[in-house]
Amino acid sequence: MRIEIESPAIEASGLYKRFRDVEAVRGLDLQIARGEVFGLLGPNGAGKTTTLEMLEGLVKPDSGQIRVLGMDWHRQGREIRTCIGVQFQSTELDDKVRVREALEIFGSYYPKARSPAELLRLLHLEDKAEAYQRRLSGGQRQRLTLGLALVNDPQLVFLDEPTTGLDPQARQGLWDLVRQLKAEGRTVLLTTHYMEEAEVLCDRVGIMDRGRILQLGTPRELIAALDRPSLAELEFLGVAPDVAPFAARLGVPVEVKDNCWAVPLRDANKDLQAVLSCIEALNLPMQQLHVRRASLEDVFLHLTGRSLRD
Amino acid sequence: MDARIFLKQLRMGLILYMRVPAAIFWIIAFPLLMLLVLGTVFGSGGDLGVRLVWEHPGPQSEVDTMLLAALKERGALVELESPDAAEARWTGGKLPVMLLTQDGHYTLRVNSYLAGQAQPIEAMVQEGFLIAQAHERGLTGLARIPVVMSSPGGHHEAPYAAFLLPGLLGLNVLMMGVFSTGIVDVTLRAKGGYKRLATTPLPRYVYLGAQLTVRLIVLLFSAALLMLVGAVVFGSHNQGSYASLLFVEMLGAACFISLGYLLASFAQTPEVYSGIANLTFLPLMLLSGVYFSLEGAPAWLQRAADLLPLSPLLRVMRAIFNDGAALASQWTGVVLIAAWTLVLFVLATRRFKWV
Repeated sequence: MRIEIESPAIEASGLYKRFRDVEAVRGLDLQIARGEVFGLLGPNGAGKTTTLEMLEGLVKPDSGQIRVLGMDWHRQGREIRTCIGVQFQSTELDDKVRVREALEIFGSYYPKARSPAELLRLLHLEDKAEAYQRRLSGGQRQRLTLGLALVNDPQLVFLDEPTTGLDPQARQGLWDLVRQLKAEGRTVLLTTHYMEEAEVLCDRVGIMDRGRILQLGTPRELIAALDRPSLAELEFLGVAPDVAPFAARLGVPVEVKDNCWAVPLRDANKDLQAVLSCIEALNLPMQQLHVRRASLEDVFLHLTGRSLRD
Repeated sequence: MDARIFLKQLRMGLILYMRVPAAIFWIIAFPLLMLLVLGTVFGSGGDLGVRLVWEHPGPQSEVDTMLLAALKERGALVELESPDAAEARWTGGKLPVMLLTQDGHYTLRVNSYLAGQAQPIEAMVQEGFLIAQAHERGLTGLARIPVVMSSPGGHHEAPYAAFLLPGLLGLNVLMMGVFSTGIVDVTLRAKGGYKRLATTPLPRYVYLGAQLTVRLIVLLFSAALLMLVGAVVFGSHNQGSYASLLFVEMLGAACFISLGYLLASFAQTPEVYSGIANLTFLPLMLLSGVYFSLEGAPAWLQRAADLLPLSPLLRVMRAIFNDGAALASQWTGVVLIAAWTLVLFVLATRRFKWV
């Protein structure tokens, strides 16, 4: 096997994919360096999964170039598959397969595989080794499918929404595993629609919407690039009053969420004064006020005009 | 390398197959159950076949005595009952026929629901009555036409189970293809299992080959068990060559497993698939003479059913199993199955999708 060490983990340019009348991916360029944890962010239907499947060699792009670990899918498909690990959103396993058996059988597909015992230890699934896959909890099953993705000691790991549907504790456990992958020098490409997940895990993120990457960078860069990098959040007791007079007086768009208003601030010091005087002038029954740094969530809102969870 | 993966995949496939109770039941237990139940109910001749309830306190006239003797000679089990008890049994609804006596006259009551079962009993009673009358009039030296029992091919005289057994072998192949193969295919695709495999270097033919081999092994095991039980319980033995039987079974398996994959390609979910599968399976089973010969059906229906793949499979299997036919003599059936197999295989291969 010939691997060019200098080549990036992923190089894609001009990717385009259409399904019938849906343009899933519309001209996507992406470069991911070796050892990087990269996050594709976006709402459902943004084209994240299609992008991932094109990079994984499952879906043929209508046009564009892909090189994975310096190799080409047409000529070196089997070599690429030997060096990558893939985790999907779905369960993908027979109900009645036991955890250890799944690790063994997937291991047999590769010329070299890690032992089930080692993986069970890594995934904290030792006491579930003989359990049927169907009987695992959501978090355990997610760790098992991650284990299957790691069975061949891959240089590049694809994780499609690895924490969707998990409780906070299980999510934390998965985050630890991803950090460990990075520490071991692997490249990770993950998709998520949790912005905090991207901020915590990723070296760089690409914000995707409607088949395109809108912006690329480290989470810090993307937030700093906002012209209003912090927010004032006003919380009301019970139902919030009508926001229109307040927004008109202040002259900025205000996001309303439940009984809370989020006001973007350009200059925390000066703008906060304006906010406070508006509150006083309109005699608003505010209960709490706090100021926070903008998040990737706000970056997404700024770029697309839509909230992520819509 | 690939051979090693194949063997592991095969072993795992067999283990997983055996862990699904429904699969075990339908493919292994169900044919055995059918053979034992239907073979027993419809198979045995005299002993529990004919049971006649006679509303009568006991034979009184000479004709009565003669009739009873004639019925017993033919192997009927005659139960004499008092009028009240007889009436209670009749209204119970399980008797196909009841014989009544009143003032020296006989009446035969036939249950209209069970006219089919009643027919042979009625014939036997009528015959007994004729004999009794003949005796009464002093006619002696009456003779019956001698009966020779034999299978249609003339190779043995095994009961109904011998007819049923090759039918069940064929049905088993159909069920394996349409249910056990198709449903697994749909489920795995819906779960993303194929997609996941497609991201590994596992060659696809190795995977599919192992899946196919698992099914062939289970089929052979089930067929062997069925033939063993048939031989032990009903004394029906394969009259032909096992090699021919194996060949036909494998050809049938190729045909119906292709059918299963083809049907599976039209369904996105297991629920939709089971509808499609049943719509295919039921007419095939009912029209192809698995359990009974379709001699009574309209001619056009029989001709149409003869062209479906299951009918020729059963015909060839019966010819081999029951009459010891050589494969070459069954070439029309074999060619018809092979043609179906080719068409189904090509269509299934074209429509098969990994991702």
